[in-house]
Amino acid sequence: MVSSFPSAEYKVLMASANPLFRKGLEKMVLGRYGESTTLRATTTTSETLEVMESWQPNLVIVDYDDKSISRAEFLHQFVTGDLPMQVMLVSLQASGAVVVYDRRTLTPAQAQDWLSSPQFLPNPPHSEAQPARRNSSMKHYVFAGVLVLILTVLVDLLLSVTRLLPVQASLQAQPIDRLFDIEIIAISFLFSLIAVFIVYSLVVFRRKNGLDEDGAYFKSNNPLEIIWTVIPLGAVIGLSYFGAITLGQTRQADPAPIEIKVVSGQWFWRFEYPEYGIVSDKMYMPVDKQAKLTLTSLDVIHSFWVPEFRVKQDLLPGENLVRELRITPTLVGEYKVRCAEMCGTSHAYMESPVIVVEQADFDAWVQGELAAIGTDPIARGERWAKNNGCQSCHSVDGTVNVGPTWQGLFGKTVELMDGSTAVVDDTYLLNAITNPNMQVQVGAVANVMPQTYKDSISAEQLSDIIAFIKSLQ
Amino acid sequence: MKKILSIGFVTGIIGQIIGVAVGIGLLTGIRALMGLAPKTEPAAVLGAVFGVIGFMIGVGGFKDWFAWAKGEDTIEAEEFHDQPGIIRYWGYSLDHKVIGVQYGILSLLLLVLGGTFALIFRAELAQTGIQFISLDFFNTLIGMHGMVLIISILLGISALSNYLVPLLIGARDMAFPRLNAFGFWLAVPASITIVAAIFTGGFDTGWTGYPPLSVRAPLGMQMFFVAVFFAGWSSILGALNLIVTIIRMRAPGMNPFRMPIFVWAVLATSIIALTATQLIGTSFQMVSFQRLFGMGFFDPAKGGNPLLFQHLFWFYSHPAVYVFILPGLGIISELLPVFVRKPLFGYKWVAMSSMGIALVGFLVWAHHMFTSGMEEYLRVPFMYSTLLVAVPTGIKFFSWTATIWQGKMRFATPLLFTLGGIMVFLLGGLTGPPLGTVATDLHLHDTYFVVGHFHDTLFGGYIFPLFAAIYFWYPKITGRRMNETLGKIHFYLMTPSFLVMTFGQMAVGLLGMRRRIADYDPAQGFQTTNLIVTIAAFLIAVSILIFFINLFVSAKKGEPATNNLWESRSPEWAILPSPAPQHNYEKPFSVVGDPYDYGLKDSKFVETAPQQSAD
Repeated sequence: MVSSFPSAEYKVLMASANPLFRKGLEKMVLGRYGESTTLRATTTTSETLEVMESWQPNLVIVDYDDKSISRAEFLHQFVTGDLPMQVMLVSLQASGAVVVYDRRTLTPAQAQDWLSSPQFLPNPPHSEAQPARRNSSMKHYVFAGVLVLILTVLVDLLLSVTRLLPVQASLQAQPIDRLFDIEIIAISFLFSLIAVFIVYSLVVFRRKNGLDEDGAYFKSNNPLEIIWTVIPLGAVIGLSYFGAITLGQTRQADPAPIEIKVVSGQWFWRFEYPEYGIVSDKMYMPVDKQAKLTLTSLDVIHSFWVPEFRVKQDLLPGENLVRELRITPTLVGEYKVRCAEMCGTSHAYMESPVIVVEQADFDAWVQGELAAIGTDPIARGERWAKNNGCQSCHSVDGTVNVGPTWQGLFGKTVELMDGSTAVVDDTYLLNAITNPNMQVQVGAVANVMPQTYKDSISAEQLSDIIAFIKSLQ
Repeated sequence: MKKILSIGFVTGIIGQIIGVAVGIGLLTGIRALMGLAPKTEPAAVLGAVFGVIGFMIGVGGFKDWFAWAKGEDTIEAEEFHDQPGIIRYWGYSLDHKVIGVQYGILSLLLLVLGGTFALIFRAELAQTGIQFISLDFFNTLIGMHGMVLIISILLGISALSNYLVPLLIGARDMAFPRLNAFGFWLAVPASITIVAAIFTGGFDTGWTGYPPLSVRAPLGMQMFFVAVFFAGWSSILGALNLIVTIIRMRAPGMNPFRMPIFVWAVLATSIIALTATQLIGTSFQMVSFQRLFGMGFFDPAKGGNPLLFQHLFWFYSHPAVYVFILPGLGIISELLPVFVRKPLFGYKWVAMSSMGIALVGFLVWAHHMFTSGMEEYLRVPFMYSTLLVAVPTGIKFFSWTATIWQGKMRFATPLLFTLGGIMVFLLGGLTGPPLGTVATDLHLHDTYFVVGHFHDTLFGGYIFPLFAAIYFWYPKITGRRMNETLGKIHFYLMTPSFLVMTFGQMAVGLLGMRRRIADYDPAQGFQTTNLIVTIAAFLIAVSILIFFINLFVSAKKGEPATNNLWESRSPEWAILPSPAPQHNYEKPFSVVGDPYDYGLKDSKFVETAPQQSAD
């Protein structure tokens, strides 16, 4: 039991032919173990063995530089005894190096070390190093090592057969998924390494037969610590290097991409194709052609993310903070861009279709969009309203939403937050769109509606939208 | 009535109510005198600030300092005596152990509150569509869950370090007992203020409070800012006190490399808390001022930049996660040797790895911003520095493994939670690299994978060690031990539930479930997993309910444990009886050996100086 205190009398035997050896250590021993310590000194092997037998000291300090003390004979006596006893080998020549052995835990390997030549460790005298367990526990390391390998393979297999990621639908996703695979191998190995050694120890070294004993006494091994500092250091530098290469691959720019301006706001997406003069609430992309997205926000921070494309980029408000993202879709299909940055009430629903089509279908879509801009201002207005995301806050069928419904809005008398009332006419609607905070209706909240429409929607389109609102009676 | 009014907590609450009224009245009054209409937000902010000050006056936090200002004498902390019994925990005490328990009670209260928020929104997420709560309430709850638990964790760490550090280093109290009490009581009105955020409109930003969203959020945002400001202040004061205590008040012979390892962890944590917390206070204060005074720090239209906020915010909030986990990792290192009956392997390396994590932790903040649109050349250097954290963390894992290797385990409840902590933290650590490498983070950022990873690190690094610590040191506080059977039920229910929960979170995250969404697209196929995650979350809640039952029942009916129950070498067990007496050690002890030499016959860590009195 560790908690048992040393008996009142602590007996220390010092074996050396050199009288200076005893003098040098006397003070240290008394200081360490207290004044009640009894000291005895011997000068020859036979005398030492005799005193060990008759006096049963708790600690024997042997001068390692003294050849007149026979190590083999001494060792034999030391290991055959059964009372608790420790031996300390002290070399004054090797600048006070110390090795401590405990009778109860002495292993054959240690005895071998001891007999051949002193294994002076580069430790300061206080750290009682214990280079125990070598051969004896070698088989445990081998077993555990094999188990680590087996578990690594199993975990990696399990993670590989599970569908972890969504469909891979872009060129940029390919290097990213490869990096995922490398990381999954690393994760499988490191998990197995730690888990196996801990669980192995819990099972194999568990207390048996209800014996309440202490664990093996070893407390530090600097070479080992250096190994498990340097190897992980190399590993993380390697992983970072792979990470940087992969990042570079996702950012490779094509000289002639299709340009799409992505505009986000609470809570809608708008996609502008400056080459074609199209504004849409769906993002159409031709397959296998790189798209250069320029990203901006009208209000708060949003984040552009199509999980199947993997890459993600935040959209910031501010003209000087426009960001860019390059995506080359590789798989025809319908996906969704999902806002990944918390952006307020309807953040969860800030999703819009992303449609990847063959080039021919894309061209057909462009033609259709251009042709759809007809002569009826109400139809055009409906289109502008949809493309600008107005309906994410304003319903057209009377449903209550964040902003006032457009149904029956025109001609209505509304109560404003400042207590006044106003009749909804053309001027009112124009102001409400271009300067929304000027007149906030009771029940609505100021600052929710973007205040940038006066710049982003042309005057003609505004009058079309107003015509559309008028028509909703 | 008079008796009730002598309780510090009650007078503090009265002070806070008066403070709020004075603050609101003052601003409204001045505006009225100037002929202006009342304005809600500035009045509410001033009211909240005055409320905190009012609480501190009411509870007696300024009493001694006011007395000194008037030239009066006050009693020394050494002469301070608490009222006996449970009542002492309700008033202004200067005893570090009482303050430690007070911190613990408040921390556990907030833990329950924050956990309850999670249960509410987990119930909502059990299936697609909106069933129980509004979108805005959901958004408020996720932010509250985050910040209330962050404050709970900070207080829990203060509880552990306040209670334990003086006991472990042989001090009679903390270096500054009054500052210690002040720091604790500051957290009480701060906690009340953050709860007030729910009732003042909430906020829909998540706990990060990014502008411009936080500039537009309802009034609750301001309560959140005020609360974090004062909670941060409390944390800074506590950290300062701990650093001074650890540096100046160790027992004779306790050189730095003979300090218990937990003390090293607290030192590393306190250095971070002392030097980084200002940044979160500043960043939130700047948003608050942008709202109140139109200062355009983060408004691009006024020449500001929303990314500036993220840099300031994460400069604290990343190191803060090391504040949360380092003490927990210290608890693991502290308890393992006691239960495996072996020395802590590589003590110096473990101690230095805490300092290494603290240092590197300051250089990694921008990994939260890989997709934010910050300057692109910053991404790769921050990836390198981020992954570098794996090195000191790895040293801890390898050292724990070597400590366990060939150990003779005693499977008591504290050990179960220690081992659980290691394994769960291992999962948290291993799910870090995919987030740390930029390319994979482009996919994972702001998904449930991050949520799963983060819960792994905080359960492994804080919650599991916290429970281990409570089961371990509970007899030191009460003189009784907690029920082992209930403790084991708690462990064996919580651990698998928790693993299922985070595996589920990570799985849906990888498949594309975004963080902080109130509803999800059924087309993405998350329903089953989300339902399982919700069930697991409720099972965790049940296990924690069992813990609380155990905690309360054992205080009265637990098996008495007044001696060295765990056969620990540590001074608070080897020398002191349980419950620990006021002012700790009657005679100073001296350190005569290494702290964790379990298995080394006849060695001691500490011994009391021989009796020298004349009688």
